[in-house]
Amino acid sequence: MSSTSQKHKEFVAEPMGEKPVNALAGIGEVLGKRLEEKGFDKAYVVLGQFLVLKKDEELFRDWLKDTCGANVKQQGDCYGCLREWCDSFL
Amino acid sequence: MAALSNKSDQEIKDLLDEYGIKHGPVVDTTRPLYEKKLKEAMAKAKVTVTKPSPDRTFYREDQEEVTYVTCQTPVRSEGPSGDGKPYMRSRPEYSERDRVDDKPYSRPEYSERNRVDDKPYSRSKLEYRERDRVDDKPYSRSKPEYRERDRVDDKLYSRSRPEYSSGRQYIDEPHVYNTPSSSSSYSKPTPVMKSGGVVKKENTTSSGRLIPLWIQFLVFLIVAGFLYFIFTNMESAESSPFNKIQ
Repeated sequence: MSSTSQKHKEFVAEPMGEKPVNALAGIGEVLGKRLEEKGFDKAYVVLGQFLVLKKDEELFRDWLKDTCGANVKQQGDCYGCLREWCDSFL
Repeated sequence: MAALSNKSDQEIKDLLDEYGIKHGPVVDTTRPLYEKKLKEAMAKAKVTVTKPSPDRTFYREDQEEVTYVTCQTPVRSEGPSGDGKPYMRSRPEYSERDRVDDKPYSRPEYSERNRVDDKPYSRSKLEYRERDRVDDKPYSRSKPEYRERDRVDDKLYSRSRPEYSSGRQYIDEPHVYNTPSSSSSYSKPTPVMKSGGVVKKENTTSSGRLIPLWIQFLVFLIVAGFLYFIFTNMESAESSPFNKIQ
């Protein structure tokens, strides 16, 4: 198994429902707050953005970096988390 | 160029397609991202246009090469882009990837493979320019540097090599070897290329041999002599083992 965090595993294990944006892997307190300020207050809103970007890794990473200043690792974690969630539930 | 923010979503979408940028629908949340991407692509395009003249020649030749693209797609598809799309499409992608110059179709192949392609004129100019060469003689400059690592190669279009050989150190052009004056100081003389082999290695001082040849021969002779000694001193089997006991 690749090295996924506990957060990742918890997130992809079930439908996200109303989980806050902090629940996403790679998104901690600081990034979560920045996202909320921009209007992405729930995980599903970020999911919406992910889908609008056609689940493209590069676009999503760029968007995440621009929106909340995520670094490469955080971008990767978040992207991986959402992609896997989509593979299971979408 | 009009400000990107004044353009409509459709215009943004058209611009993205023009630059070959992969994108999704242009909505409120994605628009700033796409505008940023377009700005970068435009800046890159402007930079490449204002480069010195040899690059201009590149563009001109580029257009000439359009006709070759279709013929060459099998070759092109070997590059990292993985597809045989025309170079126009891949240019922004590679520019975003921070390639040094603007030759998407040729560069990935060469940088990764050291393969020779049959486009002498286009690559040579640009690569020589980047190496800060003034004239476009292929063998006059870069070869001495790479001579020591040279691998014999029988390609005619070595012009493109110098650029890549810096990273690779073993690509070479044949006419490099044809300049004996400059190569005299090096171990590999000019005919090496012609013969295609490394026969000339012998006359150099043990190039690449850890143990001298005579020692190897000596050891071989010793072992052979030893085996011969053993065989000759072995007792021969009795011709008839079933002798009657008298």
